[in-house]
Amino acid sequence: MFSKVLGFLDKVLAFIEEWTLFIATFAALLALFANVVLRYGFNYSLAWSEELVREVIILTTFIGCSAAIKARSMIKIDALVQLVPSLKTPLAIASHLVTLLFSVMMIYYGWKMAALQIMTEQKTIILEIPLAYLYAILPIMGVMMFIRTVQVMYQDFLDKRTEAEAA
Amino acid sequence: MELSYFVILLILLGCMAATVPVFMCLFFTAVMGFVLFTDLPVLVLAQSLFRSMDKFALVVVLYFILCGNIMTAGTTVNKLIKVANVLVSWLPGGLGMAGVIACGLFGAISGSTVATVVALGGFMIPALIENGYQEKYTLGLMTTSPNLGIIIPPSIGMILYCMISNVSLEGLFLTGFVPGLLIIIATCVYSYFYYRKRTDFVRMPVPDFKQVLSILKEGFWALMLPVIIFGGIFSGAFTANEAAVVACVFAFVVELFIHKSIKFSDVKRITVSSAVTSATLLIIVAGATCFGRYLTLEDIPGKITEVVLSNIQSPILFLAVLNVLLLIVGMFMDIISATLILGPVFLPMLAAFDINPMHFGLILTVNLAIGYCTPPMGVSLYITGSIANRDLVYVSKAVMPFLAIQIAVLILMTYWPELVLWLPGKFGYLN
Repeated sequence: MFSKVLGFLDKVLAFIEEWTLFIATFAALLALFANVVLRYGFNYSLAWSEELVREVIILTTFIGCSAAIKARSMIKIDALVQLVPSLKTPLAIASHLVTLLFSVMMIYYGWKMAALQIMTEQKTIILEIPLAYLYAILPIMGVMMFIRTVQVMYQDFLDKRTEAEAA
Repeated sequence: MELSYFVILLILLGCMAATVPVFMCLFFTAVMGFVLFTDLPVLVLAQSLFRSMDKFALVVVLYFILCGNIMTAGTTVNKLIKVANVLVSWLPGGLGMAGVIACGLFGAISGSTVATVVALGGFMIPALIENGYQEKYTLGLMTTSPNLGIIIPPSIGMILYCMISNVSLEGLFLTGFVPGLLIIIATCVYSYFYYRKRTDFVRMPVPDFKQVLSILKEGFWALMLPVIIFGGIFSGAFTANEAAVVACVFAFVVELFIHKSIKFSDVKRITVSSAVTSATLLIIVAGATCFGRYLTLEDIPGKITEVVLSNIQSPILFLAVLNVLLLIVGMFMDIISATLILGPVFLPMLAAFDINPMHFGLILTVNLAIGYCTPPMGVSLYITGSIANRDLVYVSKAVMPFLAIQIAVLILMTYWPELVLWLPGKFGYLN
């Protein structure tokens, strides 16, 4: 049951991550490239491209973090594990727990900040995107990171069990 | 007072030792600092975390990574190796020279060592061994040469250093060429003398003119890429951001339509994986911003500066201590985290020793790059070790002569700033 739910969530998250990252990165690439072409060819520049790019950076970084946990590509310092391999499992668990704590903090504080923006009804200057939408990325990232971390922990647990059975 | 700094340092190192992702180590250290030693709400930090990503300049990181990944997925890397091969492989030790030159060419497109080790080591290590090159020489060469990927611009570490120091990015890029070329030349000379008298390796025949021409023709589009990036930046046609974007579009067009080495279906995969890599780096910027807020709040860099200045007066000694410290840090920490954590700590000291911040940026970058392959902890040693199935001691011994070359270049450029600063000076980036 648990692994079925996780499997389903994995598909949903992978879909969200992949398409958000792809569309956002590509849209910003095209906007910036169009800007270069327009500047040289027609002496004209797109006022909104800089704002779009800044929003894309926010979106791709925070959503990318969720994907990075799944891919286990978060940058960490594993010197201690290399020196003392027997610490691998306890340290991995500690690191996962800290990540869970971080996710919860992002949900809580991100929610608070987004709520603040809803009250002030601020919008970005050119594209007029409500800031609340942008700040909502933080709690969304929190939820996604939480699920991803649980998934990675479960995977670790399964690997350990098969290892133990094989031995 | 003193105790609080100790507690903060302990939290930071504790988190790092526990393999917690670096950005979280930085964020939580700042959170603990706020909670324990100040009255400010933690919400401020969450806001910093978010706001720090609202920066246009960060986009250059994303697109230089994307550009490097398109190259690696396509056949550009292969073509660069071929070009390097045809130019030097007929010399004694020539295939080794080709290895280091290919790393240099690849470095002029991409920004990361680890990626380069995997991309080039996979090709070059088997090729060198097949042609009778000694395993020790081969592994040493292919573990250390990928450092050129970081030293030769565009380099992600340099981009982030410029962001925290307000040094001109174009200028810092220019400083990287001299140490990069010196390392390439010195490594080639070493290879030449190492293999001059040996006969136990396969020496390629001297290629005829037609052959050289056909390989250059084949590699033309791959070679155009660094031309576009640097020609564009240094002629003033593009900013660094625009150069990265144009390079990506160019690389996509070349790989899709000219080399035909990637398919449209690969485009999404390459873009997504680049965005994820970029996210893992940029989120460290966010973490470091939070950490930096706590540091400046308590004026910790100022206090460290005072302590250092009261103990060290001579710039020569200061630079020596700096280099040793950075080499050690570089062994444990990736260049992005180290630059973002140590940069703000050292920047306030530079004026007292009359060190140019641009020069310091290069010292930082080269040092941390060398740290990647410094025994016993450098990451590249482990990667090569697992590619070649050799233990750490073997790889560590193998890298020694090459490491000596890189450290010699490092010392030279540390104590002779004009050597690296004349180039940005010529282009007017120095003031």
